[in-house]
Amino acid sequence: MKKKFTDKDVLLKIRGLKIDGYSDETWIPIIKGVDLTLHRGEVMGLIGESGAGKSTIGAAAMGYARDGTRISEGSIEFDGMELTTASEGERRALRGSRIAYVAQSAAASFNPAHKIIDQHTEAPVHYRIQKRMEAQEDAMELYERLRLPNPQEIGFRYPHQVSGGQLQRAMTAMAMSCRPDLIIFDEPTTALDVTTQIEVLAAIRDIVDQFNTAAIYITHDLAVVAQMADTIKVLLKGEEVEEAPTKEMLDNPREDYTKSLWAVRSFKRDQKSRPTDGTQPVISVQNIDAAYTGGVKVLDDVSFDIYPGMTVAVVGESGSGKSTTARVITGLLPPTEGQVLFKGDPLPPRYQDRNRDQLRQAQMIYQMADTALNPKVQINEIIGRPAQFYSGLRGQALKQRVDELLDLIELEPARFYNRYPPELSGGQKQRIGIARALAAEPDFIICDEVTSALDQLVAEGILKLLDRLQRELGLAYMFITHDLATVRSIADEVVVMQHGKVVEQGPKDEMFKPPHHPYTDLLLSSVPEMDPDWLTTLLEERGGVDNIGDAADV
Amino acid sequence: MSNFVIGYYAALIAASCLAAYYQNRKVFMLLFSLTLVSFVLGIIGGVPALRGVTIFAGLLALAAGTSYAFREFLIQISKPGIAKELRTAPLTASFGMFVIFTYAIAGIFAPWIAPYGESEVIAQTFAPPDENLLLGADQLGRDIFSRIIYGARNSVGLALVATLLAFIMGALGGLLAAVKGGWFDQLMGRVADVIMSVPSLIFALLMLSIFGTSLIVIVIVVAVIYSPRVFRLTRAVAGNIVVMDYIEAAKLRGEGDWYLIRKEILPNSTAPLVAEFGLEFCFVFLLIAGLSFLGLGIQPPTADWGSMVRENATLISFGDITPLIPAAAIALLTVAVNFVVDWMLFRSSGLKEQ
Repeated sequence: MKKKFTDKDVLLKIRGLKIDGYSDETWIPIIKGVDLTLHRGEVMGLIGESGAGKSTIGAAAMGYARDGTRISEGSIEFDGMELTTASEGERRALRGSRIAYVAQSAAASFNPAHKIIDQHTEAPVHYRIQKRMEAQEDAMELYERLRLPNPQEIGFRYPHQVSGGQLQRAMTAMAMSCRPDLIIFDEPTTALDVTTQIEVLAAIRDIVDQFNTAAIYITHDLAVVAQMADTIKVLLKGEEVEEAPTKEMLDNPREDYTKSLWAVRSFKRDQKSRPTDGTQPVISVQNIDAAYTGGVKVLDDVSFDIYPGMTVAVVGESGSGKSTTARVITGLLPPTEGQVLFKGDPLPPRYQDRNRDQLRQAQMIYQMADTALNPKVQINEIIGRPAQFYSGLRGQALKQRVDELLDLIELEPARFYNRYPPELSGGQKQRIGIARALAAEPDFIICDEVTSALDQLVAEGILKLLDRLQRELGLAYMFITHDLATVRSIADEVVVMQHGKVVEQGPKDEMFKPPHHPYTDLLLSSVPEMDPDWLTTLLEERGGVDNIGDAADV
Repeated sequence: MSNFVIGYYAALIAASCLAAYYQNRKVFMLLFSLTLVSFVLGIIGGVPALRGVTIFAGLLALAAGTSYAFREFLIQISKPGIAKELRTAPLTASFGMFVIFTYAIAGIFAPWIAPYGESEVIAQTFAPPDENLLLGADQLGRDIFSRIIYGARNSVGLALVATLLAFIMGALGGLLAAVKGGWFDQLMGRVADVIMSVPSLIFALLMLSIFGTSLIVIVIVVAVIYSPRVFRLTRAVAGNIVVMDYIEAAKLRGEGDWYLIRKEILPNSTAPLVAEFGLEFCFVFLLIAGLSFLGLGIQPPTADWGSMVRENATLISFGDITPLIPAAAIALLTVAVNFVVDWMLFRSSGLKEQ
């Protein structure tokens, strides 16, 4: 990974870049003077929390300002060409051919109506670099290098016919189609499972190495950036905090903010064990089978217990049936077989048949706070409605209860009482989601990937809050996640799921100690670590690059 | 060369130079190309053509001025939140609002504004316009101006009631179909398909000849014809909302369908529905005017723009434009409503100007 760069090789030079965003009829600075120098073949990691301006800088490197933003000052020099003063036509000629972009969600970025290979060959054919047939052969070669299964054939499928990880790799191949000098990766693995993430990371790293392409790698995951980047630049609210080579940055960060980012994963609480005095579990899932209408079985004989005051983490990659289990417990999807017990009594399988008290006991916190809160309803009503609905509170008593709940989630009542969800930040919205669940005064809360859409600092705050609430209110959590770092910090017991079956379950300390079930082992070893050599070591350990893909695509 | 022609070109060229000096590219291009076109126009059409251009430009400027002033007026009298929205309205939208406002005033205060009664015979058949009869008299000797004022009340009022009814039926059906789903959704969808499969004018004529032409029948028939469109839009909009997690959260809380519709879905679907309301209003208005023209709509002696066009149609052969005046009133209202709707659609589509 060690490379030496000289001034001669400078590819991209950004000096004093300022970008404004348009909101409320005025221009507000969002990037406040950032410098960036990128050499040929260098991979630079841009990290920071959301709103730090990472993606905006990434887009600016292409000379592009998104709708509602403008480049107000500074210079962007790409290979000796000044992009801020270049005409739109000149800039457009660079994009796709010399600068390419890989977006976060490949599924949303591919046109679903065209075959993958047709979208792949569009750029080379457009720029008259290759004829269509040549471009197709080249695409197949790239697919092979990126270790996509069946490289001769996969390009002729439509985007919805391949998995998310494969699509992300196909997108990287597409970015490579014109052999650009610079590729901008905008959180390419954030939407993927750990197991899938590894193959994409390995593929990206190899191909960038092979073609000596320069890259800007944007992410908020430090462990990922440690694997990929030669240099790391930390951003905070549109300003640069510090920049250093990866090793140096990891070993001794200079600024406090960087140190705090590094320390995030340190949150850990003591593990509790099951009560021994014969207390009944709050929720007991017994031999559940479930299927969506007319489909195949998605849950097969799932059983586990959740005891009062404990956190049970349900882990597994997407499609393993974690969320479906939650839907069965809440009654949205009646099981075909088996039952769910609440404190020893069976719950009616359909939520429509449950009475208010049964509904009240099991609350849910959702992954996407944006879709979980009605954007047109004020905070006080979002939180107040469950309190009014279940406890029949009115007027002053209701207002008091809402204030109490806002205090509980550490938001100042006076400031948030009359606001609407779109005015809040991601972390604040998630807190409102928690408050809505708490307002029902439940015994049991299902947390469905509550932290996966959040930055690490914010996520840690949410985890701490959930932990505090558990201690104060004696709540039981079912914690659905694919992030094992979260599991390590907050779970008491772990249930590992794969293909709708429970593969392994038990107390956390046992689960993290070998021997494991092979799938648990795969999951555990796939969690990126801060060590920059982790990926290299892992790939060697797993022996031969071909198996990683197979391991995750089964 | 008359003074008018010299002044005309001098003014255009001076304005072009000013625009160029202030680097206003769009205005300059417009003014200067108008100058060039005017050379050709002047040679072919002579002074009258140039006068026509001047009058047209003057009218446009007057409309723009009125719209600008009316928008400022609305901004001044409304609350800060609404004022902010109004500031984004283009001139066309405020022109539309001004026209709608004028029609509303004419309709509401018709008995005080109109100089004569709605069906009062006061002159000779087809009496020409004079000081007392602003637009002359119709085939029975009634004042056309007064009847146009009353027509605003009858035609617009009826169309408004019919559209409202269509909306209540369609939107309620659409929301319920989206929330309930399953067989209810299917049933409502098929009923809407059946109504939409019959051409609307034929359907209306059929129903009106069966049930007679009383006002209530007109309103109900028109509402039934137009409710399926509203139903389909509402169902599509609500369909995107019911899959949201907050709806799931409310369902799991045990909320009823009515609460879901009222508190969770409606606030999120008002923008497209309001825009659709304006659009549907135009169609309903035109349909009713068409029915009246065919003699199956609002019955005489009640004043109505559609039937007024028909009653005075014979005048066209004498080169008189009187029958076109009610038609123009219809056209102006339709255009005005569409201007406002365009602005609302633009806002609800979430497009941002660069």
